[in-house]
Amino acid sequence: MKKLLHQLYRSQVWRSIFRHGLPESNRTRAEAVFYNFFLHVHPTKVRKRSVIFSYTWGLGGLSFGLFIVLVATGALLMLYYRPSAPQAYWDMKDLQFVVSSGQFLRNMHRWAAHAMVAVVFLHMLRVFYTGAYRPPKEFNWVIGVILLVTTILLSYTGYLLPWDQLSFWGISVGTNMIRAMPLGLGEKVSFLLLGGNIVGENALVRFYVLHCFIIPVAAIMLMVIHFWRVRKDGGV
Amino acid sequence: MNKLRLYFAISSVIFLFVLAISPLKDFFSEWKGYQHEYNGMIKEMPQRIKPAEIGIKQIWVRKLDKVDRCNTCHLGLEEKALAGAKEPFRTHPHIYHNLEEFGCTTCHEGQGPATSYKESIGKVEYWDKPIFPREYMEASCGKCHKEQLVRQAPILSLGRKLIEEYNCVGCHKLEGYQRQWVPSLNGIGSKVNRPWLVNWLKNPKAYFSTTKMPNFQFSDEEVNILADFLMTLTSFPNNATLEPLPSQLVQVSGSRKTAMEELGSTRLREARCISCHPINGKGGYVATDLGKVASKVKQEWLYNYIKNPKHLQPNVEMPRFRFNENELAGVVAYMKSEYVDFDMAEPSAHTPDPQFYEKGLALVKKYNCSGCHELGNMKSYGELGPELSYVGSKKMYEIDFGQSGIDQSLSLYLFTKLKSPHIFSSKMKMPNYELGDEEAQAIVVALLGNTNEPIPEELIIRQKPVSTYAPQGEFGKLVNDLACFGCHTMFGHGRVVGTDLTLEASMAKREWIEHYFKVPYSLRPILTERMPNLFLSDDEIKTLVDYMEKVFIGDSLAIDITMNETTIAKGKLLYNERYACYACHQINGKGGFVGPPLDKVASRLQPGWIFHWLKNPQAYKPQSIEPNNNLTDQEAEALTAYLMTLH
Repeated sequence: MKKLLHQLYRSQVWRSIFRHGLPESNRTRAEAVFYNFFLHVHPTKVRKRSVIFSYTWGLGGLSFGLFIVLVATGALLMLYYRPSAPQAYWDMKDLQFVVSSGQFLRNMHRWAAHAMVAVVFLHMLRVFYTGAYRPPKEFNWVIGVILLVTTILLSYTGYLLPWDQLSFWGISVGTNMIRAMPLGLGEKVSFLLLGGNIVGENALVRFYVLHCFIIPVAAIMLMVIHFWRVRKDGGV
Repeated sequence: MNKLRLYFAISSVIFLFVLAISPLKDFFSEWKGYQHEYNGMIKEMPQRIKPAEIGIKQIWVRKLDKVDRCNTCHLGLEEKALAGAKEPFRTHPHIYHNLEEFGCTTCHEGQGPATSYKESIGKVEYWDKPIFPREYMEASCGKCHKEQLVRQAPILSLGRKLIEEYNCVGCHKLEGYQRQWVPSLNGIGSKVNRPWLVNWLKNPKAYFSTTKMPNFQFSDEEVNILADFLMTLTSFPNNATLEPLPSQLVQVSGSRKTAMEELGSTRLREARCISCHPINGKGGYVATDLGKVASKVKQEWLYNYIKNPKHLQPNVEMPRFRFNENELAGVVAYMKSEYVDFDMAEPSAHTPDPQFYEKGLALVKKYNCSGCHELGNMKSYGELGPELSYVGSKKMYEIDFGQSGIDQSLSLYLFTKLKSPHIFSSKMKMPNYELGDEEAQAIVVALLGNTNEPIPEELIIRQKPVSTYAPQGEFGKLVNDLACFGCHTMFGHGRVVGTDLTLEASMAKREWIEHYFKVPYSLRPILTERMPNLFLSDDEIKTLVDYMEKVFIGDSLAIDITMNETTIAKGKLLYNERYACYACHQINGKGGFVGPPLDKVASRLQPGWIFHWLKNPQAYKPQSIEPNNNLTDQEAEALTAYLMTLH
């Protein structure tokens, strides 16, 4: 048995993944951390008070956790949803009527989305009240604010997808607010978002692409930078 | 630290259980329960019925782009053996539509794609069209069947008939309905007595219980203003004027008066006025009640009207009876003495409002009197009320239920609105038609069928275009003067109180028609609506029958019948033995009362007609109850030969 394990440790596949030996010496223990992405992004040392739960309330981690839930449920929902005017509403209804656990998926996605907006917002408040925006963390504060906006945009673009009266008028009101932008930009931005002058099939496809691809990808890239900076600046 | 681990462990287990809820709900879903119950039920039945495969089933109605999953639980829809089974497994009653082709919600409404009872019947938030109650089901027929008469849907047909009769199109925009003829108000000031008008405006049904005029629920003040206003309308259409009463009507008295009234009474009876006019509720249904007409109209008007109805009231469907001056005076004298309302309430004295004309005109506009009645040059604008073309698709948020407190459904809203028009808001102007529950329900059914659902054109059955047949020349003049279309149909034009005359000359013999104009007896004595005696001259009768012989004829109906003793004997045998025609028809006083007597049928009908009629009665008169016995040509010929011996 032991022999077999040793053979496994020596195989090329294993060694290409784990590039260090078992953590038996100081060197290999250090290597285990350096060579592992998830361990490596942790700071080498943190202040003792930062580890106290009531200092951070784990809000950043919770936000990320909710994001993972949203990506997972969202990907499954995409399997049953077609962003076209005749089908969108009925696909949403079919999740309730015929897809196994479809209603559960939809509810998970919906409540996780609400929770994420709330948690990200609380996260920002926490950072503000603990003064964690001060140098050297001012850059990361700005990234964080952008991430908050991204979260709200994700939530808003998802609002149109059920394609019912509530979403139609919600997006109508929102894009009409955009029209009030100065310098004559309003009309153009609103037209760009809707692919027309009113909420129609073009708007549905655009919001779908924004919701499922453009904004999530942007959010992930910003998150990567955000997490990396947190570690570099001595956060948890 | 250990405590934290314990909490962690406990919460993990709880989360695991919570996660199991959703798959468990799926596993124990309502519809699966029904499917297992169905399979259990049919196992115990003597017949062999295919068990249901467990799983969601659906009908995809391609033409209407609908998905219905009702058959997930309604598993026995097409299993004849389950006619007595409990719901949801019972057989669907026989209908003329294929279930696979039309689905369920096309007719029943409800939420087709749903898979639970509550969601599928659709009485849930965010679903506007819950399943139709049985009494409103026929509304769905009306989505595609746009003809006036849909045979399989009596309630829908009644509703459409009522909508047309009550002239809803006077105020509402609504397609497929003909405007009704309504008396013109021009000249009403020279026609009626003011006390009658006041009572009429207050409650039309008190005077004439089946009038189509609704109750506008005017206040006493409004009634007085309107009456004053209407009494100023003294000039008739086309500048017609009233002739003065003849001297014998004015000056006569004593026994000569009695003799005149007696003559009038006789003529009135001969002319069969009650075929169209009820008298105190008894008689026909086509025209207005004459029971109290002498209290309603001025004698001068009555005289002039009977003399020439269309002169004072163009387009009225009343024949001009050919009375001579004496007879006319007699009829008027008799009506004057007999048809009086002795209990008519005298309206209380009032001083006219100085501005009654302006106020009256404003009221006429407000209540859209000209929607139905011709009134001076006033336009009849039929869009005072809301458009009803798509009322069946009205969304719940578009409806104001006011303080009525009724259940919020479209059918109940329309029903309540029809029954008490002002219940949702006292500002409503719709008058009260005092409809019975059945009538109101029928109208609601007809209205609910007016939806804007996208239905492919090939599924829609439209009303046949209105016939444009309008005879010209001498015959045309007579038809207009005698208002034949008021009772008879010719080439699809006209009403069907009497018979369809389109093939009259192929049916009846010339001599019989001529005689019938002079003595219009009834073929079926039980009928109320009998042909009136119009007192036509021989020349007029000749004109009419000449035209009929040339036009009201079907060439293919003429046929030669071989009349010899063997066929006649064979026909007699068929009549008496094989088909037992005497069960309904009489010959020499023997037989049933259902069909017309056949005593003199040979002098009435053409042999060709008898032959074709016997072969297929419904081809000529769809509503006839004469059975179609699928006679062979020989049998029909023999029967015809026998009947042609009955002179």
